[in-house]
Amino acid sequence: MATDKVQEIDKIKGVPDWLNSSVWSSRPSNSSFNRRFDVSDIPWGNAGAQVVLQGSASAVVRDPLQENIVNVVDERSSRGGADSGLNKQEDISICEGNMANKASIQSKCERSDEDARETLLKSDESLSEKYYSSVSDQINDPLSDSWAAPALDLPSIAGHSSPPQFSNLNFKRTSSVDARRSQFYSEISKKVIYLAELQRLASQGIPDVEGLRATVWKLLFGYLPRNRELWESELQKKRSQYAAFKEELLVNPSEVTRRMDEAIGRCIDNDGDNGSGMLRRLEITHGEHPLSLGKSSVWNQFFQDTETTEQIERDVKRTHPDMHFFSGDSGSAIANQEALKRILLIFAKLNPGIRYVQGMNEVVAPLFYVFKTDPDKSNAANAEADTFFCFVELLSDFRDHFCQQLDNSIVGIRSTISNLTALLKRHDEELWRHLEATTKVNPQFYAFRWITLLLTQEFNFPDCLRIWDSLLSNSDGPL
Amino acid sequence: MMKYADEEPTEDYLFKIVLIGDSAVGKSNLLARYARNEFYPNSKSTIGVEFQTQTMEIDGKEIKAQIWDTAGQERFRAVTSAYYRGAVGALVVYDISRRQTFENITRWLDELHAYSDMSVVTVLVGNKADLKDAREVSTEEGTALAEAQNLCFVETSALDSTNVQLAFQTLVKEIYNVLSRKVFFYQEQRPDGKLSNGKTVILQEKDVDSAGAPTRKY
Repeated sequence: MATDKVQEIDKIKGVPDWLNSSVWSSRPSNSSFNRRFDVSDIPWGNAGAQVVLQGSASAVVRDPLQENIVNVVDERSSRGGADSGLNKQEDISICEGNMANKASIQSKCERSDEDARETLLKSDESLSEKYYSSVSDQINDPLSDSWAAPALDLPSIAGHSSPPQFSNLNFKRTSSVDARRSQFYSEISKKVIYLAELQRLASQGIPDVEGLRATVWKLLFGYLPRNRELWESELQKKRSQYAAFKEELLVNPSEVTRRMDEAIGRCIDNDGDNGSGMLRRLEITHGEHPLSLGKSSVWNQFFQDTETTEQIERDVKRTHPDMHFFSGDSGSAIANQEALKRILLIFAKLNPGIRYVQGMNEVVAPLFYVFKTDPDKSNAANAEADTFFCFVELLSDFRDHFCQQLDNSIVGIRSTISNLTALLKRHDEELWRHLEATTKVNPQFYAFRWITLLLTQEFNFPDCLRIWDSLLSNSDGPL
Repeated sequence: MMKYADEEPTEDYLFKIVLIGDSAVGKSNLLARYARNEFYPNSKSTIGVEFQTQTMEIDGKEIKAQIWDTAGQERFRAVTSAYYRGAVGALVVYDISRRQTFENITRWLDELHAYSDMSVVTVLVGNKADLKDAREVSTEEGTALAEAQNLCFVETSALDSTNVQLAFQTLVKEIYNVLSRKVFFYQEQRPDGKLSNGKTVILQEKDVDSAGAPTRKY
């Protein structure tokens, strides 16, 4: 089914009107979303659309991605619902034998049911109003820290207009940070946290204080339950589950065979066969011999994993080479690299359909950094486990982009890029024409990295964290 | 196609060249060294594709080399299907300190032949030649493979710049030579001298371009 759609789209390449068609969305009408993203409607005076594009990174980022999500996610929410079992099946078959993901899909479905209910309660109208107000909040009263730093380093596109200008935004940075921080604290100290409100707050940027971002991100991922009372037990459960994954998946094969020998040895001991004074011949089963060709052999599996391990090692070494946190000879940098390697390797082993794809290191890095730098000692000490589960959660939304077999499917990277192009056409036709007709740049050449890495290689690290605040607070997931 | 030529009338030729090889063999650093004389001991892994252009002169002709760099992992090449399209030259790179990258060279050559739409002038590059103590692939082995596959061969070091210019220049010159022979042959066949008017030959498209120049199977 999916391939048919893509073929259909290929046929009408360059005429992205299909975005509105029922091919993409089960939503009856897109009108509210059109309004929602029609920048010319947004009342910030003479600055106009240029400001959105150049001045406000989150608006730029949010618009295309968010609406993207609308399309992809409409599908997904129907996955959660009863009407379409197909995608769900696809989903599960991809990660067969994958406990972590199965669990996360399940929770995803539950959550999207919840989300769907929440969405039903609100009219589209109010959604669009919410969007307007949040944008104008930013413009008039840029509360978050990162808004005060004009180091947004937006990539300039040849032939298009001038560099970022903040002059007309008139930043006043007073005690607003404090006010904002207390807003967050009052929200997350509620007995049961209201996720929609937290999402609204977070989408405008989470203040860089006291590990607030770590807690809020965990809530946004659904890793921390909304009920505060459950936090401790849930964290304990997850962290010990991760310890079990490590124990089970990262043990080297000689250790496994040693344990087997031990077990066998014990049997022999019990038989009282130990007094002969002769060395005992080790009973290694055929399947577990290092030279065994059997697929199930622990050694065979080990050699297969070696390639993945080496690839992960090479990439982890190259993760943010400019940051002492990740790179260098310091003990902490090395320990952090080891943690990243374990997270990625465990993920690869639990997801045989995807394994490790280059770039996952870039996606896992912000999570680990935020959790590891949490001033709460226990949280920092367990950053690895927390990162793992949030990474699984994050990838459950867009792991299809990493999957080569799905490149041409409706959930694959190509269709997401097509969505982006269509959005660009709608919102900045001049730029679209420049890229499409004048320079003939294939969108894959720039958008592929934007999307698969969630913009992590396009901006400097602090700005990425700020952008992720917005991406993660989208109730439909980052993409 | 002619659009390109109209816009940049000073270039006589535009060659598309691809860099391929396993991940972390130093493709991006070879390009950085060649195009910008830079080197990053710990550069980020390449995701998707990146490219640079570099201009050089041969026989008084200006030649623009458009060099494409991509991730080493297989996953990325399927999605960037346009990567090989129109390439007339390739640097196939391995790391002399990692035997596996050398053993994978044949796989890369197979892929190059399978996906490129014309014959591609290829240079085999053994990079990281500065890592003398860690060498796992001897120069002789590299030479032997190149001879067997009928390729040019050079050992380079993006770190200390050894032979980097040479590798790219050899490739561009070889493409130019092959092309000149073909053009000569073409003119012999068609004495209407059409080509001498439209000097610009862009080896980018599968089919004969609008100037009537041969762009395929030179």
